[in-house]
Amino acid sequence: MKRAIAFLGLIALTGAAFGAVEIGKPAPDFTGTDIHGKTYHLSDFKGKLVVLESYNQDCPFCHNQYQTGAMPELQKEMTDKGVIWLMVYSVNPRNHTHRTPEQARAEWTEYKMHATAWLDDSSGAIGRLYGMKTTPNMFVIDKSGTLVYEGAIDDQPDPEHDPHQAHNYARDAVNKTLAGEKVTVSETKSYGCAIKY
Amino acid sequence: MRILRILLIALCAGLATTAARGAHTQAELVLADDLAKPGDTVLAGVHLKMEAGWHTYWKNPGSAGMATKIEWTLPAGVTAGEIEWPLPEKMPPDEVITYAYENEVVLLVPLKLAADLKPGPLELKAQVSWLECKEQCIPAGGAVQTTLNVGTETKLSVNAALLNTWQSKTPGDASSFAIGAHWEKTADNDMRTLVLQGTPSGGDSSPVAKADFFPEASDDFEVQGATTRIPSKNGFALSKAVKKFSGDWPAKISGVVVIENGNERKGFEIYVPVTASAIAAAPTPVPTKAASQPAQPLWRMLLYAFIGGLILNVMPCVLPVIALKILGFVREAANDRRQLRKLGLVYLAGVLASFLILAILVIGLKAAGGRVGWGFQFNNPYFLLAITTLVVLIALNLFGVFEITLGGGALNAAVNLSSRHGAAGAFFNGLLATVLATSCTAPYLGSAVGFAFTAPPAIIVLVMLTVGLGLAFPYVVLSWEPAWLKFLPKPGAWMEKFKIAMGFPMLAAAVWLCSILSTFYGERTWAVPIFLVFVALAAWVYGQFVQRGIRHRGWAGATVLLLLVGGYSYGLERQLRWREPITETEASGASTASTIVPSVGNWQSWSADAVAKARSEGRPVLVDFTAKWCLTCQKDVKPVLESQAVEGKLKEMNAVTLVGDYTRFPSDIFDELARHGRAGVPLVLVYSKNGADDPIVLPEALTPGIVLSALDRAAK
Repeated sequence: MKRAIAFLGLIALTGAAFGAVEIGKPAPDFTGTDIHGKTYHLSDFKGKLVVLESYNQDCPFCHNQYQTGAMPELQKEMTDKGVIWLMVYSVNPRNHTHRTPEQARAEWTEYKMHATAWLDDSSGAIGRLYGMKTTPNMFVIDKSGTLVYEGAIDDQPDPEHDPHQAHNYARDAVNKTLAGEKVTVSETKSYGCAIKY
Repeated sequence: MRILRILLIALCAGLATTAARGAHTQAELVLADDLAKPGDTVLAGVHLKMEAGWHTYWKNPGSAGMATKIEWTLPAGVTAGEIEWPLPEKMPPDEVITYAYENEVVLLVPLKLAADLKPGPLELKAQVSWLECKEQCIPAGGAVQTTLNVGTETKLSVNAALLNTWQSKTPGDASSFAIGAHWEKTADNDMRTLVLQGTPSGGDSSPVAKADFFPEASDDFEVQGATTRIPSKNGFALSKAVKKFSGDWPAKISGVVVIENGNERKGFEIYVPVTASAIAAAPTPVPTKAASQPAQPLWRMLLYAFIGGLILNVMPCVLPVIALKILGFVREAANDRRQLRKLGLVYLAGVLASFLILAILVIGLKAAGGRVGWGFQFNNPYFLLAITTLVVLIALNLFGVFEITLGGGALNAAVNLSSRHGAAGAFFNGLLATVLATSCTAPYLGSAVGFAFTAPPAIIVLVMLTVGLGLAFPYVVLSWEPAWLKFLPKPGAWMEKFKIAMGFPMLAAAVWLCSILSTFYGERTWAVPIFLVFVALAAWVYGQFVQRGIRHRGWAGATVLLLLVGGYSYGLERQLRWREPITETEASGASTASTIVPSVGNWQSWSADAVAKARSEGRPVLVDFTAKWCLTCQKDVKPVLESQAVEGKLKEMNAVTLVGDYTRFPSDIFDELARHGRAGVPLVLVYSKNGADDPIVLPEALTPGIVLSALDRAAK
């Protein structure tokens, strides 16, 4: 019966949606509420470049990006250029590490985050819609709403490297897109911890 | 102080082995030999011990995680080989499948000693780093170290057996199968379907129970975790989705094929070219046997379904409900006959509605790729808890501990409905009968339902409704032709006594439900009766002081509430920890309930391999598929198998007897049942000693005579 409900739930939730995003295809629209209670729709940002980052500070791969300052620096660099950066936090509230919006706001300050918004995706709807598998897992959407990059943050799948030394795929994809060039590496295997749906 | 420090240092230096510790994992370096000769290859192992629930990763961690790393610091003349990885487990969730080890693992590394190595002790060191994960992940690691003595002979260490055991869990080569790989069709953008087929290269032509493929990791593409099994006449066939990140589609694919037979898992390494389409030599996929069997005519299936439903009425799991119904009919007969007809139809509607829900659930699960068998809802501990409580309350009500009045809260309302004889009561009786009935597979019903579960949705609905029709039939007839009610005794004072007597089968049903619950809560199950005592006391206080009381009814009501809250928080929350049932993996081994195994004879646990082995030895085999929640199995099948005649015959024939425990719906048994066109237990099979024959499938209504004649045929 539990299995039954889980299966039925899966049909309802995902259908064919899980992992349905494809490079070169329109990125599906979603609605999310951030940790200040503000609502965002992806469609609001038509005409702007959007970066999605699956996020979980308890994951050592993410933590490394923040501890070393690399991720907040990249967020600042991007948002200064007018890029919209949405962090997607899909940890299930039943998981004991789940952050309430209040805890999330404290974490935001602690790690000097510079994203546009931290979206509370407790239901996992956005994560599942985009087939997000790991934290971190990056998505870059161009001004016309087309997905141009999906995959790892950089080329060092390791929780202890210095991200400043690594080749950052997301930065590369954004800069190339802003410059009107074609993204050369548009898909990589994302690495990190499994998302705690 | 200083002396102490010196002592400590001396002690540490004296310890030959140092371990590395993470928060939840410990690593140790072990060797197969204490003493080795120059030129030998010594097997070393990094022994990782994880706390319960924590896991570390395989060389390809899958969609997330990180492989364990070993970096050696070795003296001159010692060189380390590649890590030999034992077969990992495939870890949920389905969205993010990973390959990992739980509890413990030994990662094996052969160390080659140079021929010119000088005798004496050698310090072997390695830096081990891993990612340990449960609800969160923690990177950990440290240095491990041990000493190897080089001399003129080889001497095994105490760890030799441990290393041996783990080496046997590493994948072998694919000698028993010829493997072919091809793309199913052209690529859909960056996704493509890979089909792997294995043809047995030996004489064995039986299909493999369960095959899977654990791919090698690659930066350019990802072979995704989910596996689709394609039915195959011999060997196996499976398909995997492949996602490409960069470059061309891979021309060759490497990884480990995993063959599962019962509790045994074997892996072998493959590295094969991927062709554009299936090659002629590959095994041709065939539809499942259940579907390829000569289709039974629908009318016969419906007849079986109807008879099966009819028989469900006298099954031990439905009888308590029937007691209630007879009582209801006797009462109603004394009043209004037209009302009685109406109630009969409403009861029929209740049964049909619940079978319709069941049918829809089955269709939905099938659509979602799930596996469903008869009685599958009994796999849910929460459902079982609720039903147990409900059954006890019904018993208490029959005993007259408390009365039923309308509007007394949700639970009361439910109990209320079951013994009320209005329309709602009749409808609810229908629902209750179905819920309890689905754990029994009445004779004939197994094959009818087994057939239905592989059929298109319309047939599933039709068959399920026919079962319901059979279940409701006697009561509809009785209510329609009340003249037949004259065979029942006249209403009178005996009814009150009868009502109380019928409370006892209800209590027995509660005890039976508790025994099923024990597969989910183990020893903690004893907290269920404690909770039920609280509930019973609350019911009495409610009946005596709230319903029949005159003064202080408020206080009594508060006491009832207090008892219920106390019983819940002490019994269910603290003692039972009802929200944390034992998981299937924890329970395996520990809970193979001895109660389901026939008490005489030598019964072993079922696996396809065990059957094959016995047949290769020329011995006949009897297999009993059973489950703890299956009353038919225990009340009917087990005594037959325990009977002197059958036991003696089995011994005389030198037959191998195997029992398959379906209590927790293991997939290999599910598949085996489906192979014989069944969706539930009991199922008894007899294999003749003549190796190639199909087994004799025994009917569900077993008698010693049926078993004996089947055994006679098998012995020929």
